[in-house]
Order: sequence, then structure tokens, then C-alpha cells
Amino acid sequence: MKQEKQKSLSTRLSIWIVLFAAVIFIAALGVFFAESRNAVRREAINNATQVLDNTVQRVDNILKGVKVATENTAWLVGRHLDEPDSMFTYCRSILQNNPNLNGCSIAFEPFHYRQKGLYFSAYALNENGRIQTTQEGNDHYQYFYLDWYQLPKLLDRPCWTEPFRDFNPEDIYSKEMIISYCIPIKDTDQRYIGTMSVDLSLDWLSKTISAVKPYPNSYSIMIGKGGTFFVHPDSSKLFYQTIFTQTMLEPDSSVINLGHDMQAGLEGVRQMDIDGTNSYVFFKPLAETGWSVGIVCPASDIFGGYFRLINSIIGIVIVGLLLMLMVFSSIITKQLEPLEDLVYQAETIASGNLLEELPEYTHNDEIGLLNKSFRNMQLSIVNQMEELKKVNEQKGRIQSELKIARDIQMAMLPKIFPPYPDRDDIDVFGKLTPAKEVGGDLFDFYIRDEKLLFCIGDVSGKGVPASLYMVVTRALFRTISAHESSPSKIIQNLNEVMSKGNESNMFVTMFIGVLDLPTGRLHYCNAGHDAPLLIGNTGAGMLPVDSNLPVGVLPEWKFSLQETLLDPDTTIFLYTDGLTEAENIDHKQFEMSRMVELAKSMQKAGTFTPTFVVNEMTEKVQAFVGEADQSDDLTMLAIQYTKHHKDIVYQHSLTLTNDLKRVPRLNAFIDEVCEANGFDMSTTMQINLAIEEAVVNVMNYAYPEGTKGDINVEAKSNGEVMKFIIRDTGVPFDPTVKEEVDITLSAEDREIGGLGIHLIRQIMDNINYERTEGHNVLTLTKKLPK
Amino acid sequence: MHNSTPYSSINMRKSLIITLLVSLMAVTARAQEKFIFTPQWTAQAQFAGYYVALEKGFYKDLGLDVEIVHPSVTQSAINRIQNNESHATTLQLAQAMEIVGDGIPLVNILQTSMNNAMVIVSRRGKNPLEQQGEKVGIWQAGFGQIAICMSINDNLGYRWVPFANNVNLFIEGAVDATLAMSYNEYYQLKQTGIEFTEDNVYRFCDHGYNIQEDGLYMTLEYYNKHQDQARRFADASRKGWEYAMENPEETLDIVMRMVQKNNIPTNSVLQKLMLDEVIRLLHDRESGKAEFRLRKDMVDKASRYMYEIGMLNRPVTYEEILAK
Repeated sequence: MKQEKQKSLSTRLSIWIVLFAAVIFIAALGVFFAESRNAVRREAINNATQVLDNTVQRVDNILKGVKVATENTAWLVGRHLDEPDSMFTYCRSILQNNPNLNGCSIAFEPFHYRQKGLYFSAYALNENGRIQTTQEGNDHYQYFYLDWYQLPKLLDRPCWTEPFRDFNPEDIYSKEMIISYCIPIKDTDQRYIGTMSVDLSLDWLSKTISAVKPYPNSYSIMIGKGGTFFVHPDSSKLFYQTIFTQTMLEPDSSVINLGHDMQAGLEGVRQMDIDGTNSYVFFKPLAETGWSVGIVCPASDIFGGYFRLINSIIGIVIVGLLLMLMVFSSIITKQLEPLEDLVYQAETIASGNLLEELPEYTHNDEIGLLNKSFRNMQLSIVNQMEELKKVNEQKGRIQSELKIARDIQMAMLPKIFPPYPDRDDIDVFGKLTPAKEVGGDLFDFYIRDEKLLFCIGDVSGKGVPASLYMVVTRALFRTISAHESSPSKIIQNLNEVMSKGNESNMFVTMFIGVLDLPTGRLHYCNAGHDAPLLIGNTGAGMLPVDSNLPVGVLPEWKFSLQETLLDPDTTIFLYTDGLTEAENIDHKQFEMSRMVELAKSMQKAGTFTPTFVVNEMTEKVQAFVGEADQSDDLTMLAIQYTKHHKDIVYQHSLTLTNDLKRVPRLNAFIDEVCEANGFDMSTTMQINLAIEEAVVNVMNYAYPEGTKGDINVEAKSNGEVMKFIIRDTGVPFDPTVKEEVDITLSAEDREIGGLGIHLIRQIMDNINYERTEGHNVLTLTKKLPK
Repeated sequence: MHNSTPYSSINMRKSLIITLLVSLMAVTARAQEKFIFTPQWTAQAQFAGYYVALEKGFYKDLGLDVEIVHPSVTQSAINRIQNNESHATTLQLAQAMEIVGDGIPLVNILQTSMNNAMVIVSRRGKNPLEQQGEKVGIWQAGFGQIAICMSINDNLGYRWVPFANNVNLFIEGAVDATLAMSYNEYYQLKQTGIEFTEDNVYRFCDHGYNIQEDGLYMTLEYYNKHQDQARRFADASRKGWEYAMENPEETLDIVMRMVQKNNIPTNSVLQKLMLDEVIRLLHDRESGKAEFRLRKDMVDKASRYMYEIGMLNRPVTYEEILAK
């Protein structure tokens, strides 16, 4: 595996290098090839063009000679038109003077010379140096229809004929292919009267042109104005075909264009396919006749040497590149060997063996640096691992501390349900589910002096900070409520304490209620918390609350106190926003409306005990939230007031003025009541002491000094407990909230009343104060003896 | 072949003897009548049907020993007919009618062409109908009758330039336009690189001059004496044409052999194009079929045109030239 990796790296590197080299080679060679090809091409074109120029020049010179000779003779002819027979002399002499000429005709229009008849054409023929003359016209050689005669006549100027084969069945004629230079003969009135034509054998011309062979496989062609091949190595094309013939069946625009350009007397070079061979065609017109001479050179002839050179260079380059590939591959493999060792060691380290010794590498190159870096990395990994271990340990500690904190926090919450199994007037159930290990929600309740003090709260934020705040809140609640029964005052005190030094700007929404158990009167104060639900026999709905501010925001805020009277069996349901704002996976909230609906349905079903309400709510909210994470602490507290007043079986009452002298009257009244209800002597004495203490307290403090006021003492029994209800109309005063007596102080230093209340609490089973309808109502309860 | 087995030698000898015997029997069975046929022009695909009939033995099958003798500079086809040197020739209808009108009775023993093939081609880009009074090439050997009628009828007043060969005159610009046969000179001109368009080609057949051309003719005198022979010659010739239509490739080979034998300066491309065109001309424009019949309406029309301009001094009738 390692071997393979390294192989592939060195191979890859080598391939890249060789590819790059190949690209450079290709580019360089491409330029070289293109340049040298152009050079070869230019050279070839120059060469061929020069050969062509020379040839054309030579042919043109000959043709020019013919032309000059003809014109000279024509001048003589023109001067002797009145001597028809002299024409034979002229045509003979031109041949004599120009041995390269093949023949000469001086032909006249039909009946031009009446004495000569229809035909008169003096003709001389040079047959291998023997010159013969004749009058060539006859019924089978009607010369005036022939090109050589007609062309100058119709064109009204001298001209060259296309090469042709003459045939005169009844006279001498040239057996060779000839071309003629023809001049119109005109009389003195410049009227056309005949044609003088001088013939040149095509043979010499053909040989001259065919001999041009600048390359081994090149050949020459010549086409006439009609495109006919008059020189061509292929005898099937010679005279019988034009350059266009094949294109009539298989159109070939390059050939057609070449043909047209050659016909047009242009000069040039073309690269094209000729009979399946890639060829160059050099062409140039003969100035005299307008025919075009061409040299066809196969490209392989021109570029033969060039291609051989290219092939050997390409061969060398390929071999060179392959060698490069091999050499580079082996060099790189060799150079990378230390890297291989390093890789092996690194894998060992990676498999967990952190202390594995790295190989020694002394060179100070990249691999050396890598080696060094690797050592450093190894060291720092070891250190990091140590660090990590420590951090993990710390984290574990924090986690366990958090767990403990949670346990403590949970322990602060009431957790024994039902909390008052012995009581028939109250049932409570509560539950707190924190979103994190520790939470900021709280609830609490306890009974003091026949009053159920309860609260629910939600600290802003979550986690440890919130939990700390919660603990403080809960502790303060307990502390303050121990001697303060007014919810608004409790909250106010709380608020004052908590607003001070609240640098982290935390706050608690809270609801505190104090339920007077004997009467079902509920005093409550809300500090920015959601309104609780009331579910009772007659319906379900929100408890109307003033919102006020949360605790911890404004120290001087005055919290309003509210009150209501609970019907028996009514359940108060308190909750935090963890219920109403519970979110499902689509970020939809559970919302107040769902909760109220649920409460109403429970109400309709007639089942709304605290346990049922809380569990049902829990179940429904969990079903709603589903897979989503719990986003906030969820706290619920339900309290059901189940007091049912038993029938009064005994009732007796006494009203006194606030005069201490009336105390004996009171004692007599108590004795009477106790006796009537079966209390023993000792208990009766104690009860007497407690009631007296309470009444004297009222007599001393309820009314301002010097004013009179009544104190009513009512004794009531329902067969189970005996209640002594002390009412007065004095200043509101709650003796139950006085500090527990500090019995370490001397009697004189103790606050008045303090010891009395302590005594009362010792004697009586329960003590309860209420201020109703302008009365202080203090209720002292004692169980009847069995 | 030096190693051939005795068996194959015997076999070869045997087959030779049989061939000899069979040919001897054929000669004795039917005396071959010598028949000389001269087409009106040098060897080319225009006469493919006759070459095929000869080559495939269709004449021989009908007891004719046909020899095809092409005309020469000294002897035109019609001369040979008149001199009884040839027994039949091909002529264009108008040409034949002109000869008949001149007092040499001829009969049509087989009509091949059903269409007129004559065209006027003008120098690059010029409409022949707009070349009033210009120099137009015409065959020195005849064939231009209908064109002369058209030039007069349409008031074009062409100046006719008789030619032996029009290609050079045309490309040199010595003539402004020239007559050409769609199967022959038209392609020869095209072969010189001239590009024709719809504008510079005038087709007689498209302008009310669709008068059929080539047919087989003989003198009335000879016909009257050799009606049966004439009929057989016509039948075999027709068979030759029908074979040519069905086997154009083989026919082209036959034509090329004939062309080479006669040293004609042409090539297989031109001959192929000519053969295709001639076969097309065999088919009547209206029926789309090769009908091999003289059309009375065309004879009448040609007669009327030629008589009107004085080319004929009397009308020549369909009945008069059709072999009875």
C-alpha cells in the first residue's frame, strides 16, 4: 500500500514533468515544423515558378517570332492583293524563312477572285523540310467554315486558334496537331476579304512544356482557352478532355476554380487533390495565346525531405520523452525514499503510538523540514493530549458538580406528594423539568398558621446563573414569608433585596399566593408572571391578575395585592412559560389557548385534581413537542382547595371592651367553653393562658391609647376542633408575623407580644390571622380531646 | 496454359468444332442480306441504339448483315443515301422534310426522338430572346431549320454564322450565341467551363417549337423495293434502343468502343451525358413513354413553320413521309 502510494506519486510527478516537456516540445516543434514547412513551400514555389517562368518565356518567344513573321508577310500580302498567284510565293517564302513553321494559308472569301471561283486558299506545307504549295480549298475542305479562317474574320483582329488537327481529304495537309496564328486580310477599304494563317506544330511546344520536371513525380499540363488539355501525360485526356470534364459528373470546386483562373489568364499556385494525390499546381498563362501552362507537383515530392525530417524528429522526441519518464521516475522514487520512511512512522503514530521515534534525516531540504515539523507536531500532539486529558477531567468534575447542584436544586423543591396527606382541605402537586442540568424555574409552598403560602417563578435565562438566582429567590421567599403573610409585601421585600446589586440584570417573574385555608380566601400578588388558571366546579378560566413588573427590575416598584375567594374544589393551576412556549420541531408554540382548552376539557370531565391536571398537561405538551429538544424549563404547580365546612355543634360568644379589668370575665368564659367541650383541667388552663395572652395583646395595642374598642371572642366546635376567633376593629395588626422569640434575651429586652405569640403557638394547634372587612380576625385552633 | 490437362485440350478442341458447325448451319439457314446504315454524324452516343442492335446481334437475328458506315468529310449521310451507297440514315424531322420538299422522296421507317433537343446558348448571362440581330452560330451541315423559323417568327433577325465546330467560336467571343444540341454541343460548351443558367439557355421545346428530331429514313424508291427488309431493320433498331434504355452502362461501353474505333475526339463523360440525354429525348413529354412514332401534329407544325418562311415550297405531309 505504502509502496503503491509512493510509486504513484513519483509516477504522477514524472508524467506531469514529461507531459509538460511534451507540451513545450510540441509547441516548439509545431513552430519549427510550420516555419520550415513554409520555408520549404516558399522554396518550392520559387523553384517551380522560376521553371515555369522560363518555360513560358521560351514558348512565348517562339510564338512571338511566329507572330512577327506572320505580320511581316501579311503586310506584303496586303500590298499585292491584286496578284492572287503571288500568294503562293508568300506562303512558301514564310516557311522558307522560318523553318520551325509547319504551314501557311492565305485564304480568301468565296469568289473573292472571280477567276479563282468559290475557293481560293494558297497553302504551303513544310513536310520535313520539303515545302509544297497548293490551292487547298475544295468541296470537302470548305475552309471558310473552319476556325482558323472564321475567327479573325468574326473577331476582326489577329488571333491564335486552339490546337487542332487539319484534314483535307483531297489535298496535302499537315498530319500533325497544329496551332495557327491568323490575321484578317483587308482590302484598301479596310473590308475583310480573307484570312492569313500560319501554322506551328504543337509537337515542339508540347515537348518543351512536357520536359519541365522540377520534381521527380511532377508533370506539366497546358490547357487552351476552352480548358482542353493540349499537354498532359495522360493520353486519354490529351485533346479529348478539358480540365472541367470530370467535374461534370463529380463536381469539384477546387478543380473548377483552378480551371476558371487558368482560363482567365491568372498566375498562381494551388494546393489541391489531383487524381487522389495531394498536389501543388503552379500555373501561368502564355501571354501570346491566353493558354495556361501548369506544373502539377505531388506534395510528397515537395515535402518528401521535410516529412522525413519531421518523422525522425518526432521519433527522437518520443524516445527522449520515454527516457525522461523512466529517468525522472527513478530519480524521484529515490529522492522520496526518506518520505516513505516518514510515512510509515507517521502511520504508526497515527495508530496511537504517539511516542514512536521518527527516523533520522540529516539533510536540510524539504523532507528534512517536513521531518522536523513532524517531530514538532508529534511533540505538540503529546502536549495537547495531556491538556485535553486535564480539560476532560475538569469537565467531568464540573459535570459532577452540576449534577450535585441539580440535586441540591431539586431538593429545594417540595418533592413529597401528596404533601399533606392528613389534611382534607388542601391538595397540592408540582413538577419541575429543567431544560439543562440546572434550571431557573422555581415553585414552593408550605402551610403556616392555616395559610398555604405558595409561589411559582421563572428566572430570566437558563443554566447555572439562572439556577443561582432561583436558589436565592426561593430562599428569600422562605425567609420573608416566614414572618410576612401578605403576598405583595413578600414580593416587595424580595424585589428590594434582589434589585440591589443586580449587576447581571437578572430578574424573576413570580406569582405568590397565600390561601387562607379556613376561609378559602386567596391573597395573591403577581410579578410579571403568567396568570394562573382556575378550574372549578362552575368553569375554568384565568385568574385576573395585575401584571406588575418582574422581581429584580425596579427596587421601588409598588406591587399590587389582589384577592379572591375560592370555592371548594377549585384548583389553581400555575405554570411557567416553559409550558405555553414549548416548541415543536416546526417551531410552533404550545400556546395559552391549547392550555386553556385542555383545562376546559378537564373541567367538563369533572376531573381536575392537581396530580391529574399536572400529569395531563405534561403528557399533552410532550405529545405536542414530539422529537424537538426542550427549549425551556417546564414547571407546573396545581393546588386544589378541598375545604368542606363541617356543621357547627357548639358555639358560644363573648364581647369585651379593651379594659384589662375584663380579663377575669374572659377566663370564666374560656373555662366554661373548655369544660363544655371536654378539655381537661390542665389543657383548659393552658388554653385560657393562650387566649388571655392574645386578647390582652389586643387590649393593649389594637386601639390607640385612651380610646375604647370592643373585642369579640367566639368559640366554635365542629366536633373535631375547637376554634377561638378573636375579632377587633383596631389598627390592622398581625401577631403571627412577629419574630419568633429570641429566648436568649432577658425578659425585659424582649419585644412585647413576642413571647406571647410564642406561648400561644406552644399551646394551640394552630394560629391564623386575617384582616377582613375592617376587622383583625385571629383564629386559634385546638383539637378536641378524643 | 502450357500445363493444361489432356482433358481440357480435348474439350477445347471439341467446343471449337461445335462452334464452327453451328455458324455454318446459320449461314446456310438464312442468307444474310447486306445492309449499310449511315447515321448522320460521326460516332457518338446519339446513335447508341444502332450500335447496340449491331453489337447484340439484333440485326443478325432478323437476317440482316448490317454495316454501320459513318459519314465522312467527303460523303455526308444524305449523299450516301442518294447515291445508294447506304440504305438508311438518321435525319432530323425538319431536315428530312426539307429534303423531301426539295424533291427527294424519303420515308421514315422508325421515329426515335419524341422531343426537340435544340437550344440556343448565349454568352454569359444574356437571354437569347434579347439578342436581336446578333451573331448566332449554326451548323454548316444543316439541322438549323427550326431555329431559322424561330428567328423569323419571333423577329429576332439573328445573323447566322455557319460553323463546323462552334466551341472555339463561342469561347473566343466570335459569336454572341450559338445553336447547340442539348445532348452534344451543349455539353461540349459546358465542358469548357462555361456555366449555364436558366437565363442564357433557350430551349426550343419550351417555346412552342417542340418538333421531334431523329428518325430512321430511306429513299422511297429503296423502301418500295425492300419493305420487309426496312421493317426488320426498323424493328431490330428499335430493339437496340430499348436495350440501351434498360442497360445504359453496357450501352456506354459499346458506344465508347465505337468512338475509339472511329478516333473521335471525345470522352466517356461527354458520351455518358449524351446517352442519358438522348434516352430522355426518346420519351414523349406528354405520355412519358418511349413511343417510337412520328407525331402527325409535329409534322404538321414543322411543315407549317417551314412553309411559312419559304423554306418549303409546298407543305410536306405526315402521310407522305411515313412508311406505309
